[in-house]
Amino acid sequence: MRADIPARPILERITPSRTEVIVIACLAALLIWMQLAGTRIGGLIAPLTGGATGPGTEPGFFLHSITGLAIAGALWVNLILLRLLPFKFQVPIVWVELLVAFITFVSSFDRDFGIWFATSQDGTTNFVYLITTGAVTTLYVSFISIAFACILAMAAALARLSDNGLAYAASTFYTSFFRGTPLLLQVYVIYLGLPQLGPQFALNAVPSGILALSLCYGAYLAEIFRAGILGVHPGQHDAAAALGLNRKLTFRKIIFPQAMRFIVPPTGNQFIAMLKDSSLVSVMGVWELTRTAQIIGRRDFRVFEMLIAAAIIYWALSICFELIQARIERHYGKGYTKRG
Amino acid sequence: MKTKLAVLAAAVAMLAAPTFAGETLDRVMKTGKLTMSSDPEYPPQSFLNDSNELDGFDVDVGKEIAKRLGVDFGIETPAWEVIIAGGWSGRWDISVGSVTPTKARAQVLSFPAIYYYTPASFAVHTDSSVTSLEELNGKVIGTCGGCTYDAYLLKDLVIDAEGTPPFEYQVTAGELKTYETDTNAFDDLRLGDGVRVDAVFSALPTIQEAIKNGYPMKVIGEPAFYEPLAVATDKGDPEFDAKIAEIVGEMHKDGTLKALSEKWYGVDLTTVQ
Repeated sequence: MRADIPARPILERITPSRTEVIVIACLAALLIWMQLAGTRIGGLIAPLTGGATGPGTEPGFFLHSITGLAIAGALWVNLILLRLLPFKFQVPIVWVELLVAFITFVSSFDRDFGIWFATSQDGTTNFVYLITTGAVTTLYVSFISIAFACILAMAAALARLSDNGLAYAASTFYTSFFRGTPLLLQVYVIYLGLPQLGPQFALNAVPSGILALSLCYGAYLAEIFRAGILGVHPGQHDAAAALGLNRKLTFRKIIFPQAMRFIVPPTGNQFIAMLKDSSLVSVMGVWELTRTAQIIGRRDFRVFEMLIAAAIIYWALSICFELIQARIERHYGKGYTKRG
Repeated sequence: MKTKLAVLAAAVAMLAAPTFAGETLDRVMKTGKLTMSSDPEYPPQSFLNDSNELDGFDVDVGKEIAKRLGVDFGIETPAWEVIIAGGWSGRWDISVGSVTPTKARAQVLSFPAIYYYTPASFAVHTDSSVTSLEELNGKVIGTCGGCTYDAYLLKDLVIDAEGTPPFEYQVTAGELKTYETDTNAFDDLRLGDGVRVDAVFSALPTIQEAIKNGYPMKVIGEPAFYEPLAVATDKGDPEFDAKIAEIVGEMHKDGTLKALSEKWYGVDLTTVQ
């Protein structure tokens, strides 16, 4: 569709809009206020103005302004050049630019990232150990929990939509309690509170964690599932009735597949949130990703470095799930895409 | 039939009475395994060594206790908060985790034996001009929240274990910044002298370990106080406590603890200087 718009002349396309001028002006003002003359970019500009930076020199307002304007100008030129490109080139280029900016930011820290690849005696690097010990635990705890959470959520959503007073009350109490209290406290209640009923309830750390995550996320997902089911047009019920389908079959074949279209995106969202929230089960001694990163980091006083490594792994996992989610969405969205 | 009933009655009785005297000792001897809890985020007490195994002073002490009990040894790694919450439900039998035996904590856990003493020291950034404890008055000091160092700076430190050396409050912080754990304060000090904090207050061995790992810090003056650190057990098994006290007492006497302290800290911390 984008291709249908006739290309405008180049001059017209690089002319900035009024909004753009205002945004760039604000950016320049911000950069000047940040006093960036002492940075590497300031150091590059200083000789051009006949000044110098470095130890013992105090950069003045003039140099701060020039540096700020130079950075803002460079960004603007970048913006104009990007605008001339078609959509499919803009996306990867902007991704790469933002990624490079972020990597530059992180590598400017006074930190030793060599620790990621330092090997232990059996030859595994810290990064690999972080994946084989931490990420694996995080993944399987999250997967099992999201599966249980979906079952709980479906039950709670149906109970809330039913005419049965008991089911409605139990469902609303459940969602209210588990959404309204912190997950960490739920972990404590299950791990430390349940054994008070008797030693046979002293669950191990991983089952306790899975139970807590399932209950908590089941409560959030219940509302998502309810919204999905309510989102299906009421006419669909009538249509199913007209075809002579009973209530069970109507739900399974007509309502549920259409509700899934609304349910999948926010559920994917919750799953990604759970990946990271599962770090709370580490209080019980589960070596998931965050905890493993901290333990390795504490050994060499490199916690920050290892947490950045963990962040990269979390992000990579999230990207994988975004892709899986996109596939599931395509499946349930079949009725809404053009065929052929 | 009668025996079946008796077995059933016994089973019901066991369910009904979750704790009884001697439970921990019975479990340890029956399973032939002593499980210790330890938070492996505190080198050199407890950490992951470069063979990716748990190691450290606390771990060695735990191993030695298991050896003297004649049982195998295992480690669980729950968070500090879970350990000091008590009510361990038999998930682990003992904590050799450098816990300070305060009176409040003794209501939740038993502290059968003190195994060493940690000096608490102040440290500043290497660029700092501070050279004595007096100069720290009025400075911004960072430490762990809710720990004994925090209590000292609030002038509210009560360590009522026997054999605790007396101390004085020598430093009044201008502003106290507390963190989840003391090494977070080190990270803030590392940003530069006075950027977020002027000084940190922590265990001397931890500070020395950080300096060894390239943190730009230096220790100021003599230790402000020495805190006794104890082995902890769950409430309700005096026989087990007596056994642990006896074993740790022997380890003090025959020089085992001294040797372990010198191995991990380079000095003997098992007696008060």
